[in-house]
Amino acid sequence: MKLETLKLPEVVHIENSSEIYKQASKLLRKRKPDSLKIDFFDVKKIDSIGVTLIKQIQQDAQKYKVKTTLVNLLEEVDNAFKLFGQVPPADVKKKRRRNFFEVIGEATYNAWVTISNFTILISDVFYWTLMSFFKKKLRREGEVIRQSVFIGVNALPIIALVSFLIGFILALQSSTQLRQFGANIFVADLVAIAMVTEMGPLITAIMVAGRSGSAITAEIATMTVTEEIDALYSMGIDPVPYLFVPKLIAIVITLPMLTTLANVIGIIGGAVIGVISLDLKWVTFFNEVIEVLRYKEILISLVKSFTFAVLIGILAIHFGKNVKGGSEGVGKSTTSSVVATIFFVIVADSILGLFFYF
Amino acid sequence: MTEPIIQVENLTAGYNERKILQNISLDIYPNEIVVILGTSGCGKTTLLKHLIGLLTSKEGKVKLFGKDINNLYDKELIQIKKRIGVLFQNGALLNSITIAENIAIPLKRHYNLSQAVMDRIVHLKLSLVGLDHVYNFFPNELSGGMRKRAALARAISLDPQLFFVDEPGAGLDPVTAEALDKLLLSLKNQLGMTLVVVTHEVASIKRIADKICYLSKGNILFYDTLDKALKSDIPEINNFFNSAGR
Repeated sequence: MKLETLKLPEVVHIENSSEIYKQASKLLRKRKPDSLKIDFFDVKKIDSIGVTLIKQIQQDAQKYKVKTTLVNLLEEVDNAFKLFGQVPPADVKKKRRRNFFEVIGEATYNAWVTISNFTILISDVFYWTLMSFFKKKLRREGEVIRQSVFIGVNALPIIALVSFLIGFILALQSSTQLRQFGANIFVADLVAIAMVTEMGPLITAIMVAGRSGSAITAEIATMTVTEEIDALYSMGIDPVPYLFVPKLIAIVITLPMLTTLANVIGIIGGAVIGVISLDLKWVTFFNEVIEVLRYKEILISLVKSFTFAVLIGILAIHFGKNVKGGSEGVGKSTTSSVVATIFFVIVADSILGLFFYF
Repeated sequence: MTEPIIQVENLTAGYNERKILQNISLDIYPNEIVVILGTSGCGKTTLLKHLIGLLTSKEGKVKLFGKDINNLYDKELIQIKKRIGVLFQNGALLNSITIAENIAIPLKRHYNLSQAVMDRIVHLKLSLVGLDHVYNFFPNELSGGMRKRAALARAISLDPQLFFVDEPGAGLDPVTAEALDKLLLSLKNQLGMTLVVVTHEVASIKRIADKICYLSKGNILFYDTLDKALKSDIPEINNFFNSAGR
């Protein structure tokens, strides 16, 4: 019968637990004793982690079929074992991996739930938007204005700058090509058509989705997580007309305005290139622009921006409302909201583009 | 005489121009439970935040284990933080990871323990607070009271010598609150912990407190043993203990 002794230091706590555990494991593996005596003679203090460690050593010893005995325990140490040692060994169940069909099933179910939630939200929002025109009580005073200032007015500088640069670049890139044919004046046509029908609405929508759509999602998601939405429900207030509708109305009002501004400034950006690099006169450039733009182009621009506004508003609200989890969920919803909004804006742009082409 | 574990010297603090704490001095000795009391807005939480080092003030000193925590290098500060535990009012568990992972954070970050030992420690801490069945749950899958207890398990995961508790009984039923108090007492006795507790619950105060520190308008109105507090003839303190009984 081979007997080994593990002598413990004066204090057994977290600072030296790793060392003691290594020492014990080495003893068990290399010496292969029949019995292990854990000697507490010097131990004056042991904390909960020390107790846990001894229990783990005992469990490891069982695997090697080694008997363990604890000797020379002071009363204080014994008390620590009574308080911290009664826990059965950790039986940690790992979560089962789901099989292929479960994954497919869950994804389909989730998609169905999302689509139905989204449909209900759309009908709710449109219903309450309509109702809020008739029922004064449903309106929060000044809320649409406040939201419009945030979504529209505060976005003016950045949208003006970006659209100016877009118009500028469009003109710059096309001028090198068109100059070869002596078709300098057609730069004006190109910039005007491209800005008004395509770049203006699209760039503005993407900017607003990134700037205001994300803010709306984050705000609603935070309110959901912190139970503010539940509080509104409990007070008998439907959050749809109270919170969501003003934001949607604000975005629908401001986006076409921002788009129109972006169109004008984009064309001015093009004109700068026309004047500087193509020897065109300001008047000539703008006469050409006015000549080439018909009502149809302006209508396309407005229809597109209106559609994008509704998309941005509804998607932002949808992702905010359906947040899962805590603060991390808010981040995830905001990211999903921006990605989905930009994706659907581009899809809608393509569909409308095709529609107006014929 | 043993050295105090917490020393506050002439601490004056506030937000912007508003002074919340005025010239506070306080010594807390090892293996005591000191309850900080006071009406709402008297500066309890501000004082607690200064003790933990979350807030710092230019006027006055806060020393933990004899070291001024506002004048330490990061390494020394971490050594001190390893010896203190904090239970926040709302638990402050990280929502994106499971309860077990939450409790293992300080263990993993500061020590090189084997996974088996770590699992065991997490399991022990959870069973101490009566929650060993929620190992793999996420914080948002638990009730408020359970979250609080899980947060307690995380706060004591390193067996801290100094334990700060903000409103331990808030959101708990009386039975659980009493069990929690018993646990705090046994931790104090077994591990020689020093506890600084902010609470309003008179029943809980009577169960656990060794000393009472009563704050009023940014000053310490009273700092002595529980017995003396209960017999005190200072009207404000008298009111505090008696209004709860009515």
